Amino acid sequence: MSFDTADALKDYATAGVSRHDLCFTSATPDALANLRSALGRSRVGVRVVLAGPPADVHAAASVAAECGLVDEEMTLRCNEVGPRVIFCGHCHTSTTTDHPIGTNVDCQGCGTTLTFTDHFSRRVGGYLGFSAHAEEAA
Amino acid sequence: MTATALQTKVQPVLEGTLQLEVTNVSAQTDSITSISFGDPLGELLPCYVPGSHLVVQHASGANAYSLTGSGSAPTEYSISVLRVEGGSGGSLAMHALAVGDRVQVSHPRSAFAPAATAKHHLLIAAGIGITPVLSHARYAAEWGASASLIYVHRPGTGAHVAEARALLGAGLTECLDRGSFQEVLTRKLTTQKLGTHLYVCGPTAFMDSVLEQAHDLGWPKGLLHSEAFSGAALDDGEPFTVNLARSGVTLSVPTGVSLLETLENAGLSIPNMCRKGICGECSVPVLAGNPLHRDLYLTDQEKEDNAAMMCCVSRSLDNELELDL
Ligand code: FES
Ligand SMILES: [Zn+2]
Repeated sequence: MSFDTADALKDYATAGVSRHDLCFTSATPDALANLRSALGRSRVGVRVVLAGPPADVHAAASVAAECGLVDEEMTLRCNEVGPRVIFCGHCHTSTTTDHPIGTNVDCQGCGTTLTFTDHFSRRVGGYLGFSAHAEEAA
Repeated sequence: MTATALQTKVQPVLEGTLQLEVTNVSAQTDSITSISFGDPLGELLPCYVPGSHLVVQHASGANAYSLTGSGSAPTEYSISVLRVEGGSGGSLAMHALAVGDRVQVSHPRSAFAPAATAKHHLLIAAGIGITPVLSHARYAAEWGASASLIYVHRPGTGAHVAEARALLGAGLTECLDRGSFQEVLTRKLTTQKLGTHLYVCGPTAFMDSVLEQAHDLGWPKGLLHSEAFSGAALDDGEPFTVNLARSGVTLSVPTGVSLLETLENAGLSIPNMCRKGICGECSVPVLAGNPLHRDLYLTDQEKEDNAAMMCCVSRSLDNELELDL
């Protein structure tokens, strides 16, 4: 499944094994419902490749995990740039940002300045954000 | 200091054991007997995770047996034992037990747990391998989880067949010969919905073949679970050296001699009981080097951590290990 760029997976070789391509502009509820039903029709043995901007790839990965897929069954190919979802550890609001990993962003929910690393949580479908000034506060 | 504190307690051979009483013995088949153990005072026993095993001590050592119950609020621990003539004697000792006999058993140990995230549990058992899988089936029935079972047994020699039928209904496929099993297996392995976890128990060659076929059909490792029977013959192993950091001694462990024997020969006293990698008594702390773990006691995670090893069966991947002894 790819987002944003239709040919993101053109070069992805599947060595003659049957494949099913899904292309969407972004991880809309519609796109995710499509993924869900494709996975519902699939059987153990499939591999899922998700390509596109990190926020879309991770939203799709969290749907796949809900459907019972384990890490070994998924390959995530995130574009280097593009929006990421930061999940606030304080108020649990998701904030979308274009900032790269390791920088700060202000939470849309509680306004806390969050710092985020490459710790992606499949459970919440976002990067975990922690107060950037936690040490000072504590 | 009170009087009770002065009394010398009998030192249990197995640390943290339970002293239980045989409450029931019943023949499953000509060669398989079910035995239940209960608290002599009728107390509830500690709960266990489905697929757990119990180490039972007997005169000539100790053996591990799978518990066949679901594990929730148990009043009894039940095992089913196949009589093996000319084995290490454990199964004969178990078959000689009678109601009222006292036995020392370990706390149940989980090494074959159902995956919490599984959407479906595909259980596969051959022969006496039914025991841990029956525990899973009972648990699934109790909690309304989705499960199915392929059970390979020869007509008239299968244990717990009636219970399996009652627990699984249409979810049970019985195979009475190799050929029909192969057909069923291939069909099942290619038609499972995503999120299905596979659990297999039976003779080593049987399990290896099931796991290999699943792997070839694209099943990731994370979905495959197997329960090895204890007592699989281990090879003599490569020689290696151990450095005992605290005593500043270096010992060499030759082929065919265990690390436990080597340590004992050097005058160290290492607690031990089963001497075959199931009870966990002979654990020694590892400071450096990669042990070749061959026990059934440590979890996969613990084996990866390389912080401890069971010196009765485990050896070394490196030429040298450093132990905190
Ligand atoms: S003595 Fe039982 S595990 Fe080593
Ligand atoms: Zn917030």
